Amino acid sequence: MISIRDVVTKENIKRKNTIDGVTQAIFMASAILSASFIVLIIVFIAFKGLSPFLLNYEGYNFQQGTVDLDPVNPISFLTGSQWLGGTLGLSSDYGIGFAIINTLIVVFLAIMLSVPVSVFTALFIAKVAPKRLANVMRTVVELLASIPSIIYGVFGLGIITQFVVFVAGFFDYQTAAGLSLLSTVIVLSIMILPTITAVSETSIRSVDKTIIDGSLALGASDIQTYMKVVLTAAKSGIFAGIILGVGRALGEATAVALVSGNLFAGIQLNPLGTTATLTSRMLLGIKDTTGIDYDIRFSIGLVLMAVIVITNLSLNFVMKRLGGIHEQ
Amino acid sequence: MNNKALRQRQDNFVRGVIYTLGSIGALVLATIIWYVVSNGIGLVSLDLIMGDSRTFNTDVYVETAPGNYPLEGYTGELELFYSERWGLGFVDTFNRAGNEAVEIGYVHPDSPFNQSLDKNGFDEFGNHLVIEVRPGFTIEKGFTDTAIFLGRNGAEQIATIVNQANVIDEISIQSRGDGIRGSLITTLYLIGMTLLIAIPIGVSTAIYFNEIAKRNRFTNTIRTMVDLLTGVPSIIYGLLGAALFIPLLNNTIQTAGGSVISGALTLAVILLPTIIKSTEEALKVISNDLRQGSLALGASKTQTIFKVVVPSAVPGILTGVLLGVGRIIGESAALIYATGAAIKDEIILTERSTSLAVHIWTVMQGEKPNFELASAIAIIILGVVFVMNFVIKLLAKRLSKAMY
Repeated sequence: MISIRDVVTKENIKRKNTIDGVTQAIFMASAILSASFIVLIIVFIAFKGLSPFLLNYEGYNFQQGTVDLDPVNPISFLTGSQWLGGTLGLSSDYGIGFAIINTLIVVFLAIMLSVPVSVFTALFIAKVAPKRLANVMRTVVELLASIPSIIYGVFGLGIITQFVVFVAGFFDYQTAAGLSLLSTVIVLSIMILPTITAVSETSIRSVDKTIIDGSLALGASDIQTYMKVVLTAAKSGIFAGIILGVGRALGEATAVALVSGNLFAGIQLNPLGTTATLTSRMLLGIKDTTGIDYDIRFSIGLVLMAVIVITNLSLNFVMKRLGGIHEQ
Repeated sequence: MNNKALRQRQDNFVRGVIYTLGSIGALVLATIIWYVVSNGIGLVSLDLIMGDSRTFNTDVYVETAPGNYPLEGYTGELELFYSERWGLGFVDTFNRAGNEAVEIGYVHPDSPFNQSLDKNGFDEFGNHLVIEVRPGFTIEKGFTDTAIFLGRNGAEQIATIVNQANVIDEISIQSRGDGIRGSLITTLYLIGMTLLIAIPIGVSTAIYFNEIAKRNRFTNTIRTMVDLLTGVPSIIYGLLGAALFIPLLNNTIQTAGGSVISGALTLAVILLPTIIKSTEEALKVISNDLRQGSLALGASKTQTIFKVVVPSAVPGILTGVLLGVGRIIGESAALIYATGAAIKDEIILTERSTSLAVHIWTVMQGEKPNFELASAIAIIILGVVFVMNFVIKLLAKRLSKAMY
């Protein structure tokens, strides 16, 4: 017979506690490692992205050979209306201001185009459609969400640009093979549609049933209830979906880079003209993995992160204000 | 009455708008699938999946004398002009640029052309390289002991000339290329390595948050930091790979620039929030009774975690893994920075390469994007992603039915 006293000894308990301590430390270390990546992202991109403003880079050109480049001026970088003043390799006169504005224009228009479609799709799935059809549409939205960005790029370049060429034909307008602000906006709005739809649908479905019943009891028709009561009650959820969509649109890279047309200077307000976003500027024309023309892309990365954070904070601020009005 | 009719009309109008806008998503999805399939399905074949991406031009010859190789088992659709003496069949077709071309349509299994010699390529001992002539190679020109032929002569004439020849001095061939074997293998490597890194870290983090961490400011802080990762766009992760992992690997295992490994490390960071989240979701629904039962039976906390908690969370972890695989397959922006965009045929883990998605990016660049190849790869990616989606849904159903 083994007595329990043989098993539950001081040493065994101590061993058990040590093992528990060690495993818990390992789990904690993993958690800290996972959390540290957000810091690593900021630190390392800042490290590389700030060096064009601080260091003298070596440029190279076939005519002049090696030349010393001045550090990039941060003010003219942020406000510049031209990607590169001078020749590649001979100049450090980079500017990104126009791309910041163009990015905001593109994202704003994409949201404008996407929100009505997404919200009505969400309403359609959550309330209006028969159950079968709603399930099909829900799957459609899920599948749209799972399509990778590069495939939207192929689709954009294959179909959307052709559509834009077709539209431009009506105005006798010569586009750059359909690469344009309009194509970028359409592709982006398709890409953020599933995000906004999914979040809006959840919030529409979670609208309190008593409010709906109250509206119906007051004699409103079901459609009137959906439009005036349900959508109003789901407002904050819809807005949260829009914020997510804006985040996704700002960071979207490959699809946008394929259809934007790679504008080098100026703010584009003509829907049929080419444009450039921060991400497309980062992706296009990588020639080398050293030198100022590569490192400046990390500076754009810093600007992109700042734009995302600022947009998010201001939208959240707006949402709080909207929510506040609603609660009064 | 009039009011009621008016309202009805308004309602119907709004209902129509809802139906119209609500069906746009389905329309878009259908268009994407139609576009990709109609453009790419012609290319999807074993040749595409197993083939080299690069074409090579060379001149081949054989040293053996002609024999007799009767045609057997040709299944192609095009009319085959066949030389029985050399076991080589030719077809008239169009090349990728849309021009008429003559291709090899069939090679007899015993034909000497299975081991033809490369006139221009030598191994380290100075011997001619052996080249296997395969269907799909384009014929540029050639000369035999009796005649000279050019690609534009057409398959029928070439077959006649070849069949009359007693010695084949030279045939200039161009291999087909545009295969995706290299990118496919890279993608599989990326999936394996990424999961190997991301699963242990992600699952441990989720366990820490759900099983171990106390509710205090420290826990809240690191949880917020992990949550922040979700909102980071993938191109920023790519910059992380380029600014942290590539230099790290360059200095430790002496890689030169981006590599498959740096790509996998970057992807692992991208997957972390997904895996942590889905594991945590699964851990949350595990009943506390199970944990307490295990502890009451005398199991230590470690034993409880590994033998009770983790096994019950397997479906949730699996969901996270599948979501992650879908993300890896579709990821492009991050990998362009972290592994480069150079298409390779021979994959070395410490060198640059492309995944399938980046392969699409590379062939879509430039003046003449290759829509057919891009769509063919897109079909493969979409197939995998959609199946993954289906399996995840199934898992979720199982998960919600399971008893805890």
